[in-house]
Amino acid sequence: MLKIAVYGKGGIGKSTTTSNLAAAFAKLGKKVIQIGCDPKADSTMNLLKGKPVSPVMNYYRDNDREPESLDEISKEGYGGVVCIETGGPTPGLGCAGRGIITTFTLLEDLELFDTYHPDVVLYDVLGDVVCGGFAAPIREGYAEKVLIVTSGEKMALYAANNICTAVRNFADRGYAKVRGLILNRRNVDNEYEKVKAFADEKGLEIVADIPRCQDINDWEDKGMTVIEGDPDLPISGIYLGLAKKLLDEDGQSY
Amino acid sequence: MKQTFALISTYSSDQFGICSALYELGGMSIIHDASGCNSTYTTHDEPRWYDMDSMVYISALSRNETILGRDSKLIEDILDTAGKYRPKFVAIVGAPVPYMIGTDYKAIAKLVEDKLGIPSFGFDSNGMQYYTRGMRDAFKAIAERFATERTISGSKPGERPVRVNLLGVTPLDFGMTGAVGSLKKWLVDHGMVCNSCFAMGSDLTEIAKAPDADISLVVSYGGTGAAKVLKEKFGVPYVYGIPMDASVIAEKIRERAGDGAGEKTGAGGSAGMTEKIGENSSADGSKDIVIIGEQVYSLSLAEALKDLGIKARVLCQLDRVRDSKVNEEKIEFIYTPEEDDVIRETKEADLVIADPLYGPICGAGKLIELPHMAFSGRMFENDIPNLIGDGEQIYNRIMKELKKTDEQKPAPGFASET
Repeated sequence: MLKIAVYGKGGIGKSTTTSNLAAAFAKLGKKVIQIGCDPKADSTMNLLKGKPVSPVMNYYRDNDREPESLDEISKEGYGGVVCIETGGPTPGLGCAGRGIITTFTLLEDLELFDTYHPDVVLYDVLGDVVCGGFAAPIREGYAEKVLIVTSGEKMALYAANNICTAVRNFADRGYAKVRGLILNRRNVDNEYEKVKAFADEKGLEIVADIPRCQDINDWEDKGMTVIEGDPDLPISGIYLGLAKKLLDEDGQSY
Repeated sequence: MKQTFALISTYSSDQFGICSALYELGGMSIIHDASGCNSTYTTHDEPRWYDMDSMVYISALSRNETILGRDSKLIEDILDTAGKYRPKFVAIVGAPVPYMIGTDYKAIAKLVEDKLGIPSFGFDSNGMQYYTRGMRDAFKAIAERFATERTISGSKPGERPVRVNLLGVTPLDFGMTGAVGSLKKWLVDHGMVCNSCFAMGSDLTEIAKAPDADISLVVSYGGTGAAKVLKEKFGVPYVYGIPMDASVIAEKIRERAGDGAGEKTGAGGSAGMTEKIGENSSADGSKDIVIIGEQVYSLSLAEALKDLGIKARVLCQLDRVRDSKVNEEKIEFIYTPEEDDVIRETKEADLVIADPLYGPICGAGKLIELPHMAFSGRMFENDIPNLIGDGEQIYNRIMKELKKTDEQKPAPGFASET
C-alpha cells in the first residue's frame, strides 16, 4: 500500500494536485482513498463533481455521536476513489488538530483499510505542521512518504522549509519521510531555478513539474479533475507520469 | 444527557484496565497525567497494591509542557527511571490532557525503546473509555510482543491434557476471590490444563507460552484482543465463557422471591414466585430477572442460572463483543451506555443482579448484590463471590471448537458432551 501525505503553503494547490493524483492512480486501475485533513473540507470536491462528502466533524456536530459505518462519512468519486473529509470545528472555536486525530481513530475503529483494501491512500493536509494534530497523517501507520507542493514564491518555499524541518525533527519517531517536491508553477521569474536550489539544499528531488494551466481551472469549474475531464491533455499526462513513478517505487504494477 | 450518571457510579476507565492487566508482569506503567498522586490509579481499584510490588508512575504533566508539546520532559523522566530500574517493559498510558493535544504515545514508546532497548508500548487511553478497552489493548500488546513463537510441538490433545489459555483475568472483573485458582482447578478436573493466564499469577515467561495452547478461553471482553492475535498468528482457536456454579445466586433469587419481590407481577404473590422459580417454570418469561455487568461474566452467569431453571437477561454498559459466538445460548442481551436506559430496563424487572452501587436505580428491594470491582472499587471487595465451578456448557463449547480443528478429544470430565 502506497501512503502519501501532501503538505504545502495554504493556497499553493495541494487539493488540486492531490485530487488529480488520486484520479491518476484510479485511472491506472488502483483502489484509492483520499482523506482531506483541512477544516475547509474542500480536498475531494473535484472528485465528486462538486457534490461534496459530508465531513466527519459535521457528523459529530449534527448527531452528537460517533458514526457506526463508513457509509455515513465517505463517498465514492471518480474512478471509485473513496473520499473522506475530516472537516473542522466551528471557526474560531474548538481544536482542528484534535479533529484530525479523532477522525483517524474513528477510521481505524471502522476498519477503513480492511474494508476497502486500498492500493493508495492520500492525505491532503492543511498548510503547515502547526501542532500534533497536523502531524497525525505522518505518524507511524499512516503516510510513509511526504510530498511538498511549492511554487518558486518566497513564502511557498519558506513554508516548504518549515515542513521539511518539522518532518525531519520526527525522524527518530518512525514518522514519514519527505519524498520530494512538486513544483506547482505560478510563473514567477526563474521559478525552476529557485525551487531547484531549495531542493538541492535539502537533498530533495523535484518529482513533478506542473505548469500553470488553464485546463485545470476549466475542469475545476465543472467539478472535475483534468484526468476525468480529458486524460489525453498534456497536463493529465504529467499527473499520470507522477502516479506511475510513485507506483513503480512502491513495486505496484498498473 | 448522553452518558451522564446522576444516580450510579461509573466503571473504571481505560487507564485502570491497562494498569490492572499489566500489574503482575514486571513492567513499568507510566500514566502521562497532571496528577501527582498514584492512588487514583492504584489503590482505589487495585487490591494487589499493598501486597504485591508493581512499578506504576505518574508523569506529573504541567500546563507549560502541555501547551508547548514538550514530550522531551516525559521521555527524559522515563529514560532516567526505567534506565535505573530496568523493568521488563515500559507502558506509557494516556490520560485526558495529553489526549486533547494528540500526544503520540506510540512514537514516545519507540524513542524509549530505541534508547533503552527495553520493549515499550504506547496506549491511546484517555480516561473517557472503559477499562474493558484498556485491558483489551494491553493484553493485545503483550501478546503481539511476547507471544512470538511456539515453544513445543508434536503431541496432540488426546495424548495429553488440552492446553488452554485463560484470557482476560484481572481483579477488576474477578476480584481477589481465588477465581484464578478455581479456573485452573476446573480445567484440571476436566482433562485440561492452564497453558497461559493473561494475567493473574503469571509472568512474561508464561505469556510467551501462549502460542502453545490448543485453545483460548476468553473470560472477559479484555481478553479479546489477545485471543485474536493468537488466532491470527498461530491458529489458536478461542471460545468465550466462564464455567460457573450459580447455585449461590439462585438461592438468593429464591430467598428474595420469598420476600415478596414477585408480588408486582402477581402469579400468586411472593410464594407464587418462589414456587415458580423453584419449579423451573420461570422460563415462561413471567418473572423478569436482569443481570448487569461485564458481558462475558454476565452471560456466563445467565447460562448457569438457565441450567438451574432460572431465566435471566443481561444488560451491559461496557464495551461488548459483537461476535455471535459470545452468546451461544441466545440469552437476551441489551447493550446501552446510558443511565436512563438502565433505569427504564430495570424499572419493570422483578429482580436485578448487579453491583450494590446500582441500588439507587433498582431499589434495595429488588437488588441481589453482586459486587464488581470495576464498578465499586474496593468498597465491597470482601463480598465478591467466587462463582467458578460446574460449567458443563463451557466444557462442551471447548470440545466442539477443538473438534472443528480436527484435534482429538481428551478424556472427558463430564459424562456427556451434548
